[in-house]
Amino acid sequence: MAGLKDDAQWIVLMGFVVSFSLFFIAIVLNQSTVVGQTTAEAVLEFPKNDIRGVRDVIIQSAVLDDEGGVFNNKTTVQNEIRILSLSRQNSVVNFSSTPPTASNPYTYVDIHYNNGVTVYNETWRSK
Amino acid sequence: MVNDTGQLYTIEGIAAGLILLLTAFIVVNSTSVYTPGDTHISDMQLEVLGSDALKMMNTAPNSTLGKSPLQTIVETEDTETFRTMFLTIVNNRAGAEPDNIHYLANVTYVNSDGTINSIPLGMTDRLYGGEHAVRVSDWVIVEKQFPGCSAQSCSGKHATLVEVLLWRD
Repeated sequence: MAGLKDDAQWIVLMGFVVSFSLFFIAIVLNQSTVVGQTTAEAVLEFPKNDIRGVRDVIIQSAVLDDEGGVFNNKTTVQNEIRILSLSRQNSVVNFSSTPPTASNPYTYVDIHYNNGVTVYNETWRSK
Repeated sequence: MVNDTGQLYTIEGIAAGLILLLTAFIVVNSTSVYTPGDTHISDMQLEVLGSDALKMMNTAPNSTLGKSPLQTIVETEDTETFRTMFLTIVNNRAGAEPDNIHYLANVTYVNSDGTINSIPLGMTDRLYGGEHAVRVSDWVIVEKQFPGCSAQSCSGKHATLVEVLLWRD
């Protein structure tokens, strides 16, 4: 070690510090391009409006009548809700309603929604 | 005794390091990177706008039991009213200039044999593939006989799905 000049040790050290800092800044910049993507995708994938819409129309259909004979409004509409949900919104919906009885004046509608990712279940009760 | 001949070099090194860091910081800060996540934010806003517009059109005036405007539009296939009403709602914004949102709408219904069919409900512009459209939909129960079935049993009430693609030009 006799003839070694070590005057510039600090310079070398600072060089390391600077290069590592740059390296970390590059990593931060690199990550910033993907941040938010998964969040936004999760928000877009969540079928809030689909669930609201199908819930709404199911409740509407529960108060329709089957007149028997030519039109079976309730049966037709409810079947069409199932078919359209499956084919246009990629979701399986199942529902059934319990009409009011003498002891219980409310209409209950059981709603089940499943699109493979999001599952929604509700028992709706009329006011 | 500490050898202190490198002090000036040390200071220079620190100064150079600070300058480099500052430069990198300014460069990184001055360019905003438009990330894929950011495009989804405007998609989400457009989706909210569209579904709100459909919801408004599917509400009967003063919450009466009468038909909503959208129900009447689907039953009469009134593309002109749909166009006026929908565009008024979605293009309305604060300030003098209206927004420039385009749409392509369809009504999807179920045939008597259980298959699916769509009839167009108008559009402002063709879709050429370059547009970045979002899809919104709303359910409407209508009293209408759809094409493809003229039997008496096909009239009466039907569940339909109004689907709208909308994009900003």
